[in-house]
Parts: sequence; structure tokens; C-alpha cells
Amino acid sequence: MLARVANNLYWMGRYIERSEHVARFMHVNYFSSLDAPNEHSQKRQFVLRSMRFMVGDPVSDPNEVLDEEQLLYNLGMNPDIPYSIISNVQWARENANSARDLISTELYEAINKFYHFVLNYDVDLFVKRGLYDFCVNITEMTTILRGKIRGTLLHDEVYAIIMMGMNLERATQIIRIIYTKYNDVLLARGVTGTEDAGQSFEWVTLLKCAESYDMMRRFYKKAPNTSSTLEFLILNPDCPRSVINSLNQITKHINVLDQSKNPKKDSTAFLVEKVRADLKFKYVEEIHEDIRNFIETKLNDLVNIAQKMEKEYFNY
Amino acid sequence: MITTNNQIFASYQKDPTLFDEVFDAQGEVREVYEKLFELYGNHTISNYVQLNNKAKASFFNQGITFQVYGEHETKEKIFPFDLFPRIIGPAEWDHIEKGAIQRSRALNLFLWDIYHEKKIIKDGIVPLELLSSSANYLHQMFDLDPPGGIYNHISGTDIIKHADGQYYVLEDNIRCPSGVSYVVCNRTALKRALFGVFNHCQAHTVTNYAENLLEILESVKPQGVDIPNVVVITPGMYNSAYYEHSYLAKAMGVELVEGRDLFVENDFVYMKTIKGPERVDVIYRRVDDLFIDPLEFRPDSALGVPGLFAAYRKGNVCLANAPGTGVADDKAVYTYMPEIIKYYLDESPILKNVHTYHCNRPEELRYVLEHITELVVKPVDESGGYGISIGNRLSKAEIAAVKEQIKKEPRKYIAQPIMSLSVHPTYIDESESFEQRHVDLRTFTLLGKDKEFVLKGGLSRVALKKGNLVVNSSQGGGSKDTWVLKNDQGPC
Amino acid sequence: MPLDYVVTYRAENHYDTLVNRAVWQFLIIPEDNDSQELVSVDFENSLGVPVQHSVNGLGFTTLQLHPNVPFSDVRFRATFKVMKQEVNPFDFIPLEDPSGGYRQIESLELKAQFEPFLRVTPYTRLPDDRQELYIFDREISVFDNLLALNQWVYRHLFFQSGITHIDTTLKEVIESRQGVCQDFTHLFCGLARRNQIPVRYVSGYLHQGNGYFGDSQMHAWAEAYVPGVGWIGFDPTNDILAGSNHIKVAHGKDYGDCSPLKGVIFAPGNNRTSHSVEVTAQQAQQ
Repeated sequence: MLARVANNLYWMGRYIERSEHVARFMHVNYFSSLDAPNEHSQKRQFVLRSMRFMVGDPVSDPNEVLDEEQLLYNLGMNPDIPYSIISNVQWARENANSARDLISTELYEAINKFYHFVLNYDVDLFVKRGLYDFCVNITEMTTILRGKIRGTLLHDEVYAIIMMGMNLERATQIIRIIYTKYNDVLLARGVTGTEDAGQSFEWVTLLKCAESYDMMRRFYKKAPNTSSTLEFLILNPDCPRSVINSLNQITKHINVLDQSKNPKKDSTAFLVEKVRADLKFKYVEEIHEDIRNFIETKLNDLVNIAQKMEKEYFNY
Repeated sequence: MITTNNQIFASYQKDPTLFDEVFDAQGEVREVYEKLFELYGNHTISNYVQLNNKAKASFFNQGITFQVYGEHETKEKIFPFDLFPRIIGPAEWDHIEKGAIQRSRALNLFLWDIYHEKKIIKDGIVPLELLSSSANYLHQMFDLDPPGGIYNHISGTDIIKHADGQYYVLEDNIRCPSGVSYVVCNRTALKRALFGVFNHCQAHTVTNYAENLLEILESVKPQGVDIPNVVVITPGMYNSAYYEHSYLAKAMGVELVEGRDLFVENDFVYMKTIKGPERVDVIYRRVDDLFIDPLEFRPDSALGVPGLFAAYRKGNVCLANAPGTGVADDKAVYTYMPEIIKYYLDESPILKNVHTYHCNRPEELRYVLEHITELVVKPVDESGGYGISIGNRLSKAEIAAVKEQIKKEPRKYIAQPIMSLSVHPTYIDESESFEQRHVDLRTFTLLGKDKEFVLKGGLSRVALKKGNLVVNSSQGGGSKDTWVLKNDQGPC
Repeated sequence: MPLDYVVTYRAENHYDTLVNRAVWQFLIIPEDNDSQELVSVDFENSLGVPVQHSVNGLGFTTLQLHPNVPFSDVRFRATFKVMKQEVNPFDFIPLEDPSGGYRQIESLELKAQFEPFLRVTPYTRLPDDRQELYIFDREISVFDNLLALNQWVYRHLFFQSGITHIDTTLKEVIESRQGVCQDFTHLFCGLARRNQIPVRYVSGYLHQGNGYFGDSQMHAWAEAYVPGVGWIGFDPTNDILAGSNHIKVAHGKDYGDCSPLKGVIFAPGNNRTSHSVEVTAQQAQQ
């Protein structure tokens, strides 16, 4: 496979995954805030700020009043904002275009439909009444895309590259979402002063943002707290959204690309194993001790993996 | 006997001066269309509109579109497609196919000759000025033997049916003829919308083009290579024919590369893959020859690969079509096609050329001046439709002016009879009915080492504006699926 | 008696931004032909990149370099040893009847054979109002006409570096009457082709020891096809026939086919290039 095309497929995977997480985060947060148990979490400004934090564009001025429609537009449908859903979808399609000969007709058609759906969505409807409909459609369409990727592509290098992109992005987004909600909990605590039901509420939202709430309930059979939420979303290998699960996937796919028994120490495969091993043998208590540090370290690890891949496989 | 209880043709108007592909001079349905006509007759107009919309959606979702750049936004549009196919019977097709192969072979021999001994020039058959004035007559190709002796691996021949019911060739395209992907898409769309009709009609498949193309490309592999690595090179995804490039690469199962994916090392060509360099043996180029190598041709080209020509010259890679093929893809060379066919093959042309009068020949000049109202006068050295005078559309004063011009510099002009393209019933959105529209036919011919192939089908291009003779998609033309029937048993 | 020459070609390129990828092609190696023998080639570059030998579209050997380390400055030095035979350019038997030469020149056979060298190219295009600048005298032979043209160009232009550059048209050269060897040669080519004589632009090295014009750069002259004889070199910059002091590298339709260094740089920004050439001679040790 051409290095340039591999790079494009990798990014196609990342953009598809990213658009899903942004969409889910937006609507889950927004709608769960409406009946939040504490007043602070109910505040619209609080929710909007949380969204900006999640996409990596936090609001620094505490007095700034955010305009809801403008913010929703920017995150969802503003093509001039790089983190907007529409930008992600556009880039996903652009990258698919340049690898059109390698992906299946079915996958391409699905991406194309996805793109036209976003492009033709009524902006006015979206900012006033369409948030739920739009976001749910996005998440459903990304599920279709995932199905087409799994079901209509040969599980060879092309597939491995796309899956590497998707899983790296998933791990990144889950960590970002954890970070955002952790931040929300701190802010909520700052107002209420206690670790209470309000906090548990934010953890529920977090799990829902990662589509993992039902799985978590089934596994722990009680309401989530800080510890169980982090353990589930970071360390539980059976949770398909957990960070360790993504790393396991990445390991599996890098082994398709790099079939050497003992990967060289400057290879991507080596680094992936190293990052995975570090996480695999972590206690949740260690994470809990210094969450911020943990998050920064992991995000950094993921960036390093991406850079290594770029150097090793996408050099053109 | 077909009658007009046929709903969707109830309002069809026939201009008796035009050759209608479906109806004969008596207004009866031609034999090859009988079955189809009957089947389509079962549809109401609203049925038909629905099917047409479905077909359009199919193109749209497959991303077979072109961009229209507006002030605020970029819109994607599909190439207009008409559900009523064009049908060509086996005997008629046989004639077209033989003619297309004959032209391809003759052009290949012509190219070999003008890049080697130049006999046809020295024998005074084709004037030297024709070549020396062409920017595509590449000095670099002199005395170079392309692998397998093939220059024009891929050609597209534009054919029309004149009012006399005969086929005429309008143009031979041997640079980078495009359109074959639309042939396949049209067929797919028609099958999706009207699969039922295929149960009644035995039309040849068109999906075998890619496998034949790959075989042709593999047949001209460099010496010493067992299984050649074939690639398609494209200018990139913003090129208007990018869909076709990706379609061909995918259908052949080969890589679609851009110039930046390739590099040359010690006169061998490699592509940059995730596992390092991989050698490339045959390149189907969809980049114009003057852009393929900035060290040899246009130095400002960012689409090419530095050193590619040296690798080609050394025989380490094959380029299809060969560089310098464009010299024969020329209006002026076209006018010599009958002579070229005769000279190299000692045959008469199977497909007619539109007769051309060379004003530098005194007796032909006299004819042109006397019959100017029946002729199209073209300057030999202009392209893109510049300086063309259509005799029956000129005022008296204009005629006098054109005559003066020709007399002053007769060798600068040629003249041809005004050709009338046949018409085909075509569904028109605005009037929600079928109307006559002019069509042409682009056929696709492949030439390899000991192998030749003509795609049984082709791109029937339709001029959607009433009375318009220009079928190009850039001018708002559409297209139709084209069926070549398998045998004479039973009309369709 | 053969002459031993040592030719040193130097070039230095500076790029304003760091370049990650580049391809250079040098057309500077003396040709191996009847009158000269290439004894050795030595090529060095400051990046230490291995050099590759290739052949360009017109059949001349080139040197190619594909650096794969980032750089912004690079120096090249090539040294060639060439053994040149003593050449007497007048050593041929001219056709007895001058008109025979013109008949050949006008034959389709010859025109077709040498078509590229009769082309009017951007570098050799005469301005519309100067088409009649130099018309051959049909009473004397083709060769004598070419000799006269050689002298005419030599007298019409004044050798002056720094006035013209590689994009200067013949129109400007004819008007300013100044230029360097490329301009002299292009004018000679344009006028000879106007008189239907096939002419090739030649690039090479000139041994300047004898006070010839040149400017420590690659030299240019022309080869014209003389019926019954073949290609003969004319050096209009010096009003001489090409001989033992001329070391040929390549020929083509004009400078565009012979430019000594072509580069494809995958980086934005400007660059500066400087070249120099040095030719030293000694009588071959027999």
C-alpha cells in the first residue's frame, strides 16, 4: 500500500471516530443536564463550557457568556471551525476520496451518504430543535461505517491502518471525555462542596458519553463512583470503549503491519506494546492519586505512537 | 407491429430531416428497439420520472459527480444520465469494431514511422509541416522503441451517424481519452433501475474493460520482468476525471498513484509504500506527456516524476500511452487518416472520415469556394473550435470575407461538409416527455502486444439542449447506456 | 598530436529554506566521439550523496543526485580528463557544384531526417521584422555561406557578460547587439535555419588559453549540416570553426535541451546558483 494513501486511510479512521465522540458528547451532556440533580449541573453555561473543554477549546474567561446557538453551530456545523463535526466528516470523506481505489464501493457510498447528510442538514433546525436528531444520526451513521469497514474490506493492511486510526482516536477521545467530566466534577464540587449524588450524576453522564453506562451497571451492579468509573473506562479490557481495549486493538493491528517476532526498539510496534503494558498493570488507585498527571501522560503516549507511525509507515 | 398506445412516447415529435435511431423514416420502430419499446411502453411518465430519480440518486451516492463552484458554496452535480438506452445491432457493431481496430493499428504504425524512418513523410503522403508544427511531436521519442512496439495502447474514437445513416469518425482521441468509467456506471445505474428489461435483451457486458486493460498493460511489460507491477498515475483527486482514475485502478486491482508517490533511482521507478520502495513496471498515465517528468519536459510540473523519462528510455518501465502519441491526435492528422490507413495497411478505411477538402489543392479549393454554404471551413492550426465558419449560418458579406481569406492563404484552411448527428429519444426533465436529441458515440479500443480489444458498448453522449450538436459534458451534455446486442435472434 | 585536457566544473547552490528532497541532473560530461575520448570522471558533492549515471531524452549521459538529507547549501565539483585529437575542421572535400548542396538541403528526405534541427524554437525565433536579416548567397556553397554567417554574427554582436540571461529573446539580442556565447549561437542557429540549414546548438567547454572569448562558464557553439560532408562546428563567438579547443558535451535544438544543471526542489522559496568552469591543457605524453 502507498504510504500516502495509508496516511489518508489512517486519518479517515480518526475523523470518523472523532465525529462520533463529539456528537455523542454534545447531545448526552446537553440532554442529561436538563434534569440534573443539582442546580449547578443544570446551568446551561456550565454545559456549554464543558463542550468547549472537550473539543480542546476551553473558555478561559469565567465571565464570558456563551451564546448557545452560536456554540452549537460552531461545534456541529461550522465548516470554518476545525473541530466541528462537519469539518471532521468533510475530512473523512476527503481522505476516503484519495483512497477510493482501495476501499470498497459500499464503504465509499456510506461515507458519501454520511457527508451529504451533514452537508444538507438545515442549520437553523439544528441549532434550535435538531441537536438530538442530528447527533443521533451522526452516531448511527458512524456505526454503519464501522460495520462497512469491518464487513466489506479485506482484513489486511488497509483494514489494519484504518483500525489503527480509529482506535488511537477512540483512546484519545475517551481520555479527553474523562478529563472533561473530571473537570466538571471538580467545578461542581467547588459549588456544592461535597462529594455527593451530583458527582455520581456527572459520572453517569461520562459513562453515557462513552456509550458504556449499561455495560458498567451490568458489571458493577451499583451506581458509579470515581473509582469504579475510571477503572471501567480505562482498565477493563472487556469494555469495548475502554482505553486498554483500544490499546489491545492497536496492538493487534500493528502486528498485521509489523510481523517481526521481536520488534525493534525504535519501531511503532515496540512502543505500542510498551504503552499497553504500562497500562495493563496499573491499579486504579494509582490513577486516582493523580488523575491529571495520568491523563497528560497517556495523551502524550498516544501522540508518540501516532508520530512513530507517521515516521515508520507514512513517509512519502 | 408497434403502435403508439405507448404512453411515454405519445407526445414524441419527429423531425423528418433528422436520422432517428429508434424510428425509421416511416415513423415505425426499428427492429432492434422493438422489444425495449414495448417494455418501456408499460411505464407511465410518472413511473419513468421515479425511476429516473432513483438512477440519479445512485450516481450521487456513489460520488460520481463533478463540482460546481458557486459564490458561497461548492455544489456537487451528477452528469445527466438518460434511462432510455441506445441499442446497436450485432452487424452494425461489427462494422464499428473492425473500423476502430483498423484506425488504432494504422495510428500505431504511423507513430512508429514518424518516430523512426519517417517514410510516410519522405514519400510525400503526409506533409512534414503537420508534425513539425505540433508541440506533441517529441524530439525525445526519436528512434526510441516503446515496449511491444505500441504507442497508443488506449484510444477513444468519436463516431457519429450522419443523416445518410452511415457512421463517420469525427475524432481519434489517443492522449488520455476518458469516459469509460461512465459506460460502466451507466450500465450499473440502468440495471438498478430497470433490471427487468435485461431479462429480455441480450446485451454484451461492459465490465470486462478493466480486465482487458490490465492484460494489455501487462503485455507491454519491460524485458526481464515476470509479473509486472502495474499502476495508474493521476494528477490527483481534484482532477475532473479522478473518479475514472480511481475506478480503473480499483477495477484492475492496482495502485492509484500520484507523481509524489513515485521516485526514480538508477533509472528504475519505485513507489513509496508502507513497507518501503516497491518497483513499478508499467504505468497507465492519466497525466499529459509534457507533465510526466520535470527534468525532461515542463520543468514547472509538480505532477510528474523527475527521471521517469530516462527510466522509460532505458526500457525499465513502460508508459501507456507512450509519450508523444498526442501528435497523431490532431485535427490535421485526422484529415489524412484514409491515406494513413491505405499506406500502412493497404486497406480502405472501414469507418468513413468526414470528407476533407484541402484548400492548398487547386481543384479542391475551387470546390470549396463554389460550395461554401454547404461546408464548414476550419483553419488547420487552431484548436478548441476557434476560427470555424459554418457555411449555412453566414451572411452574404461574411461569406465573401471568408472566401477572400481562403484565397489569400489557401494552405491554412480545410473544409468539410456540414455533418448532422443522428437523434435519439431522450427524456427531458423540463417538458416531462421524450424529445429528439443529437447523440454521438465514443468507443474504447485497446492495443497491446499481439492483442486488441474494443469494448462492446461505449459512451453515447447526448446534447441536452434542443438542436445543439455539441455533446461534450463540459457543454451540458449527458449520456446514455449503450447496448451492443449479442445476436440477431430477436430484436430488443 | 593529441591534447590532454582537465576540465573542472563547479557549482554552488543556496536555498532560502531548508530543502528536504531534491533531484539534480547535470549535463556536463564530455561526449565520447571521433575527436575526443573521455578518460575519467570524478564527481564530488558537499552532501556526500552517491552520484548516478543516466541518459537524457536526447541520448546524452547525465549525472543525477537524489539527496535525502535536509540542506540549504550544496557545492558540486566535477573533474573530467579528456583526450582531444588535433582537429582540422577544413579537412574535407567540398562539393564541386554549390547548387547540388542546395538541392540536398531542399529535399524532403533531408528535411524529414533533420526536422528537429530545422525547428523554430523560443530561443531561436527571429523577430517578424528581422526574417530577412541574413539571406544566403546561392552562388556560393552552403559551407561558404555558413562561414560568412559565422563571421557576420561575430561582427554583429559584441561579447558582453551580464547583459543577457537565459530568458533573453533573439529580438532583444539583435537590438542590443550584446551577449554571450549562448546568444551568438542562438542567433547563428536562427539565421541558418531560416536559410533551411539544419543546425544543432552545442554546449561544451572551450579551452581559452588562446585568447578566445568565453567567460569561465560552459561554452556554446553550433553544428551545421553541410551537404556531402556532415555536421561541422561553427563558433560564432570567436569566428572560428570548432576544433581542438572545443570539448563537446551535448547538442540539441537550443539551450533548453542542453542546460547543464536542472533541479527539482521540493521546497518553497528562492535559490541562487553559481557555476564556474576551468579548462587546462597539456600536450599528451606519448
